[in-house]
Amino acid sequence: MALSGLEIYKLLPRTNCGDCDFPTCLAFAMKLAAKQAELADCPYVTDEAKVELEAASQPPVRLITLSSNGHKVEAGNETVLFRHEKRFFHKCGLFVRVKDTDDLEAVKNVASEVDGFTVDYVGLDLELDGMAVEAASGDPDTFAECVEAVRSATEKPLILIGSDPDVLKAGVASLTAKASGTVPLLYGATPENWESMAALAKKADVPLGVRPGGGLEELAELTEQVKGAGVQNIVLDPAARDFAGTLTRMTQMRRLALKKNFRPLGYPIITFPGEGAEGPEEEVVLASQHIAKYGGFIVLDHFSQASAYPLLVFRENVFTDPQEPIQVEPGLYEINDPTPDSPVMITTNFSITYFSVANEVESAGVPGWLIVADAEGMSVLTAWAAGEFDADRIAKSVNATGVADKIDHQKLVIPGHVAVLSGELEEELPGWDILVGPREAVDLPAFLKLGNE
Amino acid sequence: MRFEPTDKAVEVRAGSLIGEAAHEAGIDLNMPCGGQGRCGRCAVIIEDGTVRRRSSLRLSDEDIAKGYALACQTVIEGDAVVMVPPQEKIERRLTTDKTAAEVTVPFDYDPLRDQPLRAVYLEIEPPSLADQTDDWSRLQRALRREHNIDGVETDLPMLRRLGSILREADWRVTAVLEMDAYHRPDGPPRLVDVVPGNRTERLYGVAIDIGTTSNVVYLVDLLSGRVEVQRVDYNAQIARGEDVISRIIYAGKNDGLGELQSLVLKTLSKLLERVAKRARIETTDIYKATVSGNSTMLHLFLAVPPESIRLTPYITTVNQSPAVMAGELGLDINPNATVDCLPGVASYVGADITAGVVSSGMADTEKLTLFMDIGTNGETVLGTRDWLIACACSAGPAFEGAGVEHGMRATLGAIEEVWIHSDTFEPTYRVIGEREPKGICGSGLLSLLAELFVTGILDKSGDLQLDLDTPRIREGEHGDEYVVVWADETDTGGLASKHDIVITEVDIDNLLRAKAAIYAGYTVLAESVGVDPALVEQVLIGGAFGQYINIEKAIQIGLLPDMPWEQFHFLGNTSVRGSYMALLSRNVRQQISEAAGRMTYLELSADNTFYDQFTSALFLPHTDIAQFPSVEEILTNGRTETTEREKVCAA
Amino acid sequence: MTVEIPVEKWPGQVREITLGATADEGGTRSHTVTVGGETTLPFLHFEGEIPHPPVVGIEIASRRPDDWSPLLLETWSDVVDDPAAWAKAAEEAGADILLLTLSLEDSVDDATSAVRQVLEACDLPLIVFGPGQADKDNELIVPVAEEGAGERLVLGVCEEKNYRTIVAAALAHDHLVNSRTPMDVNLAKQLIILIHDMGLPLEQILMDPTTGALGYGIEYGYSVMERLRLAALQGDSMTQQPMLVTPGEEAWKAKEAKVGDDVPAEWGDWGERAINWETLTATSLIQSGADLVVLRHPETVQRVQKTIDALMAEAGEPELVAA
Repeated sequence: MALSGLEIYKLLPRTNCGDCDFPTCLAFAMKLAAKQAELADCPYVTDEAKVELEAASQPPVRLITLSSNGHKVEAGNETVLFRHEKRFFHKCGLFVRVKDTDDLEAVKNVASEVDGFTVDYVGLDLELDGMAVEAASGDPDTFAECVEAVRSATEKPLILIGSDPDVLKAGVASLTAKASGTVPLLYGATPENWESMAALAKKADVPLGVRPGGGLEELAELTEQVKGAGVQNIVLDPAARDFAGTLTRMTQMRRLALKKNFRPLGYPIITFPGEGAEGPEEEVVLASQHIAKYGGFIVLDHFSQASAYPLLVFRENVFTDPQEPIQVEPGLYEINDPTPDSPVMITTNFSITYFSVANEVESAGVPGWLIVADAEGMSVLTAWAAGEFDADRIAKSVNATGVADKIDHQKLVIPGHVAVLSGELEEELPGWDILVGPREAVDLPAFLKLGNE
Repeated sequence: MRFEPTDKAVEVRAGSLIGEAAHEAGIDLNMPCGGQGRCGRCAVIIEDGTVRRRSSLRLSDEDIAKGYALACQTVIEGDAVVMVPPQEKIERRLTTDKTAAEVTVPFDYDPLRDQPLRAVYLEIEPPSLADQTDDWSRLQRALRREHNIDGVETDLPMLRRLGSILREADWRVTAVLEMDAYHRPDGPPRLVDVVPGNRTERLYGVAIDIGTTSNVVYLVDLLSGRVEVQRVDYNAQIARGEDVISRIIYAGKNDGLGELQSLVLKTLSKLLERVAKRARIETTDIYKATVSGNSTMLHLFLAVPPESIRLTPYITTVNQSPAVMAGELGLDINPNATVDCLPGVASYVGADITAGVVSSGMADTEKLTLFMDIGTNGETVLGTRDWLIACACSAGPAFEGAGVEHGMRATLGAIEEVWIHSDTFEPTYRVIGEREPKGICGSGLLSLLAELFVTGILDKSGDLQLDLDTPRIREGEHGDEYVVVWADETDTGGLASKHDIVITEVDIDNLLRAKAAIYAGYTVLAESVGVDPALVEQVLIGGAFGQYINIEKAIQIGLLPDMPWEQFHFLGNTSVRGSYMALLSRNVRQQISEAAGRMTYLELSADNTFYDQFTSALFLPHTDIAQFPSVEEILTNGRTETTEREKVCAA
Repeated sequence: MTVEIPVEKWPGQVREITLGATADEGGTRSHTVTVGGETTLPFLHFEGEIPHPPVVGIEIASRRPDDWSPLLLETWSDVVDDPAAWAKAAEEAGADILLLTLSLEDSVDDATSAVRQVLEACDLPLIVFGPGQADKDNELIVPVAEEGAGERLVLGVCEEKNYRTIVAAALAHDHLVNSRTPMDVNLAKQLIILIHDMGLPLEQILMDPTTGALGYGIEYGYSVMERLRLAALQGDSMTQQPMLVTPGEEAWKAKEAKVGDDVPAEWGDWGERAINWETLTATSLIQSGADLVVLRHPETVQRVQKTIDALMAEAGEPELVAA
């Protein structure tokens, strides 16, 4: 169980020596509790305390990493049930499945489509994480060929799916022969095949998915067996597929890992929303449930841009650190196709601030130029108080965007909260008229419409 | 550029601000916001000439038509004549009977054990042709022989005066020695002064507290440990900004830093002269000063630029400044006296708080203790002798009467307590000095807010209920307001210009924000270390405002946690007390440094739970009423009118 | 190996609230709709009761809403100028309730007649929102409350700056209100307290914590709703109101749903993307505790209802899938 800052503090030397680069032992303890510092930074901690602290700080959900050719997908190390309690740490991996019974060309096409899919969202490039290849044929050579076909189209990490260890072995061999450092996920060990699957995973040193025949008892048992056979890196199949079933199972698994520190279920979860949904439209919805509710690796059966984009955005949103709200890329934003006589407004790059301003202007149907200044992701008032949104910064932002060349007036609307800057700003931006806008974004449409009249 | 009515002319560059020109011309303009154009108090009238108004935030179109302009926001573009209206003088009556309480010696004081300063009488063998020892060695020898004090050091200015003093005094002198100091605990002894004759019967030091609002000086007899005289006055920097942020901004302007330093030194000089005069000594008889104050005040005192305090990531230049000589600093005591600034912890948790934590006994108790300084910065410390965690929660100056329409400081004419009848909504109040009221001070505002709330005039979000049957609730110039005193019952100006004393919805918002920030700071501190706030065993309240708070009312509005009243202790100015104790004892001085070293600072702006707790506290008494069971009880069952209240109402 | 499933014993329960009134109850609805009553987190059937599934509403407008996405206007093109026809179409599209949004251009007569027509055209319980400007809302909602007396309408929008008039109207005519606050746990609770302090029973207050659309701050709305629901289950009375949110309105404000031209190619097919945008916004809010979601597109309604059905199904033995 996680210790509080004060509980950790009591185990530290309490000399406030500062060698850990924190001013006091309590400050260091609080950082340790927040997992923002390493115990190793304290040179004076006793061995007994170290044992106690390390036991308490072991992640309740083990971190599993898939990798290939410089790409990496990590799942696990989660510490909370609800993102507001701290945050969800590792974005679940999103994979698209093909089968070795499909036409090879079609497989290649899907793989390269998935591979090439990149979409911009608030300045981030969102991408899917890799491919899953299923050995449906039952034939080692066919499977190896299919894996190779996929590999030829994408260098991203892979999940190899099959129940016959010999067939999967061919896939693993074809992968690892080509490049060292490739770590696919093998899926999966069942009550019937676990011994040979575990042996294969151990030998290839890759993580292994486990799928029980029944409920959580069977799953826990199977996990312990696989672990007993020397496989440390395990991924769990909740052995449910539908909406209600996966929600229940996955919630129970996360609770057991976090609240009961139940080790046999302390691993990331793999899901197959396509198997629990009727058709691609429903698959997207179920996948989004798995993103929010405890999925670690999500294997989709369909790929389309119109569903991958919302899923990737949803994942980004859910895994955002609530302590550090996302910032919007500073720069000039055009709203409703502005013209040279449209108003120019400025605000800060705190995402909520930006969204509320942009949304109000957009839904009011008023064209406008919105300058987003780099204010360290703070809201207007906070940024102003901290000196991150002063006349100098505003002037620099205005000049950096080159908005002056796009308009035929020189009027800048500043947020009402920083009305005091208007004087200084007129000095910093010679020739500009500084107009004081409303304090709240909701009042912007009325303000802008007034300006138009 | 010419200023009327004083007819002072000054030449300045085009592009200068009127405020800068006025300063140049030696004209004192009030700038409580620090020259940011926010307060409108530096308005002047342009009689003639070319100027450009960068901002006229506080001025109406009518004002501008009359020629009004803000001196801090108006640029001179050519010759001009400016009329300076009479400047509001800062009321100088700070000391009420409440602040000048007798100060007791805090512990069993033994100067020989506790005090590093010594005055020793020497009868030195005069030199002769046979004994050719130099003056300095002769003095050292006498110290060694007569007092067993070895290895004394001195400096050049002292040596330059030494020969004449010794001879004029006929070799009978008192040497003032500093045996050690916090920054050199093992000595060697330093010769601070040599004075003629035997003056060992007296030895003085001063404990100083530089508050943002007021400065306090204790003149301390270091032989008995007693406070001989105490004096307090407003910090003259107020005219350049009411709060620390305004002053930091002012310090960043042309020579603003130098000006602010000289203003505080001027305030202190006056205080030092007054205490010295009262004790019939010279200021040069004061041989040591310990200084406490918030980090910004100490930066300004030492003229260290405070700019980075205001900016992220809010770092001071120095938390523990080295000792300096009074002469070097320009502090009006013996120039060779050590000025010891006490250590702070962070930008907004300064020496005033570390001094308070030690002087209040918090640093040495096993009880889980909450220490609160209910002032502009709302510094809060939680902990025990084993650990201390502190934060500051920018409450704003509302509880000090600033930023409130008819707020004022706690001086004569201030309403300090209010009661409202729950049926008629008519108020009764008590005024400092028992006279017609001029305005409302912090404690009055707090009690007014509580009364408005429990009588249902305010709803839980702090909105005035306009539909109640009383003419006292009305729509005013600045939104809805409640009339506390009708104009003709006030002392608000000449007969013709008297006005109603009101509290507006803007004021109420300011007060709510202040109380919410303080309460939220405390809950976040507890949360951050994983301590249940209900386990707090005692609440120590420091700060000048603290001693006037009515606990019951402070709980009703959700400023203080709902705990049994006996768990609250009001300590008054714990900062100057800490400064005083550190002046007396090297042990205490050491404890303050240790407390500073042990105190963990939590930066609330880096803490997302603060905003959450703040919003939660921005309600009367709190969004989570379960945290205020006693208030819930009053709201459900109505209050029982207290006997005190009945007495006052009857009167 | 025995695994002890952790089951939370929640002391609190979400309040049950009924919208609409049948003839017996003084209204004209064929049936009422009850929401709330949960004793556990969304769809965790193994540890508590979920007596009423979340409810899906469709938003219609008193006059053609020109600022809506062309995709929506096209979908409803036959009825978009006629509130009565629109109400009927929405009922046929599977809505459990209707939200009628009044327009800034509506006169009092326009508003009351729109409400009358809608009530006559369909059998569903009705929510009526003003156009969202304080003065206009008050001007329109007061007569609407009178017009709909006895129907147990939900009147909105009550916001911190403007709730008294609407609450008074609800009190006078026995309606419900929608208490809307901007994505903040404390503010949500505070407005409930203030409305309740005016004398409106808690059984007549829905909580609308608002949300952002997918990609536009949904994580804030999502977490605020999770926190509110946790607080409700932990016994905090003033957070135990069923939650109503309007993901339809939010999602269709987003460029991803609203616009088809001049957008990046990798956004994919507009129609499918737009429906996905609205569906995911709605279903994730249902996962975080929404009891009532108001949507705009009939296809989304189908998908969201199907999801709710699937989530309401008691989890059976897992179907085993051959790998």
